Amino acid sequence: MSALKEISIGGGQGFWGDSPDAAIDMVQNGNLNYLACDYLAELTMSILQRQKNRNPEAGYARDFVDLFSRILSDCHKNGIRILANAGGVNVLALVEKLKVVVKEKGIANYKIGYVLGDDLKEDLPRLMAEGHEFINSDNGKKLVEIQDKILNANVYFGREPFLQCLQQNADVIVSGRASDSSLFLSPLMYEFGWKDDDYDNIARGIIVGHLLECGGQGSGGNFEYGWRDVPDLDRLGFPIARVSEDKTIITKTATSGGLVSEESCKEQLMYEIHDPANYITPDVVADISASELEQIGKDEVQLKNVKGKKRPDTLKLSIGYHAGYKVETYLNYAWPDAYEKAQFASEIIMKKMKRKNLKVEDIRIDYVGLNALHLDVANMDPEHVKNLNEVLLRIAIRTDTKEEAQKLIPEISPLQLNGPPGSSFFGGRARIQPVIGLWPTLIPRDMVQLSAHVVEVDA
Amino acid sequence: MKKLYLKDIAHGRSGDKGNISNICVYPRKKEDYAFLKDYLTPTRVKDHFKSMVKGDVLRYEVDSLQGLNFVLKEALGGGATFSLRLDSLGKSMSSALMRMEIPVEDYDNYRKELGK
Repeated sequence: MSALKEISIGGGQGFWGDSPDAAIDMVQNGNLNYLACDYLAELTMSILQRQKNRNPEAGYARDFVDLFSRILSDCHKNGIRILANAGGVNVLALVEKLKVVVKEKGIANYKIGYVLGDDLKEDLPRLMAEGHEFINSDNGKKLVEIQDKILNANVYFGREPFLQCLQQNADVIVSGRASDSSLFLSPLMYEFGWKDDDYDNIARGIIVGHLLECGGQGSGGNFEYGWRDVPDLDRLGFPIARVSEDKTIITKTATSGGLVSEESCKEQLMYEIHDPANYITPDVVADISASELEQIGKDEVQLKNVKGKKRPDTLKLSIGYHAGYKVETYLNYAWPDAYEKAQFASEIIMKKMKRKNLKVEDIRIDYVGLNALHLDVANMDPEHVKNLNEVLLRIAIRTDTKEEAQKLIPEISPLQLNGPPGSSFFGGRARIQPVIGLWPTLIPRDMVQLSAHVVEVDA
Repeated sequence: MKKLYLKDIAHGRSGDKGNISNICVYPRKKEDYAFLKDYLTPTRVKDHFKSMVKGDVLRYEVDSLQGLNFVLKEALGGGATFSLRLDSLGKSMSSALMRMEIPVEDYDNYRKELGK
């Protein structure tokens, strides 16, 4: 393998619902070899499972089909291979949609790879009967407590099935709950032929993924350091990694807005990481405790000194379950005495709730515009509070049953006519939303049977 | 006397995993890292958040990045799915930390020592 070989990989999506613009720009202008798109946040799998329960054809990130149809021709022309965990809980339904797109574009001999086996919902009863307790990693409880409420169960898996698809020349690979950073590691490992015990390089690939998997957060979005000075956020480019055997450069296209700086990379590097020396993933335990980021040019930052250790023998299994209901309600109040009026209104509503014998698991009364975000650390200086121009009263409850949640809803809008003066109401009547609980647990690696598949589509 | 807030000398980002919030903090000027390391103790951070953070606060130091990473347990009102907070993912936890007031005299003394 040539020492000069360099692989470019772009991070095309930060989450399900992200803008497609940056991905489109980078396949046209980024000299990419690979585009990797992360669609799944902690809760997304459960939301997708709910969609699939209503409609067996649903359950994947539909946005990806649209993005795929917009970038397919350019990716095909430029030889860019795509990886996305957009399959959610219905990988096969997504594959069918992708086949249609490939045919529409008239592309011959296109190979779609896909990964199955991360969905363990149907296996749980058998595994529990065999004695596996699936202890909750946060609270130590046994899964049997919520057994009848389980919505979905998906394993966070790593590189192996992606490597198999790449070896079979898949042009696009879709999966369910692949760990975000595996989508980035896998092409690098495949291209450079890194071995399973090359922990430092595997960790480097994972950290590249970590810097790219949140899209714009690596290139000037959500940037506390200097958000005012980020150029052209309206056409924010997402980060691209240029990786060789001895160098890792984070950059972006010259045609896009945003910036790649030491600070933008620093804010992303420790994002959602706990112990920097032990970032546990399905592929490696990455160690960034001695890592360095150095600006080497405009929109070019070099990542150095990432270390790795052997990965654990267990995988994370995330189980979503029905956990009751919630309702959020809002009422506006204006100066003078906006806060006092809102408090007064909340007291009226609470008295009514007491009469209705409301049973809640949790309740919050917030004053949006005053302390709904910063809570205990908000500025509650009496002068400031007294002179608020306006405040939005927010009452939110979480209940076990729909009937309890319903009790709050009809009591809000009447306060416009029946409460403190000048109140207004918006957004229509509040709706009851189901609450999904997450049950994080571990499962031995050898109990998970992942499979890689590749189908060729003819135009 | 003008007040000094953490935001004036530092920047960071907050994220969530279940009911745990993490906030990374970096100095705006690299030479202020030692000041942050000294001043921004886990105890001060825990006290700053009052009842918002119910669990322990851990701090990890990454000298090579001049960065501190705070891990705040039981910090999001039950976690993304259960929390009734308006900001259930704690996206504003970083800015909430950044409004910590820094004693101007302590900071000025630190800068003076640096200049020597």
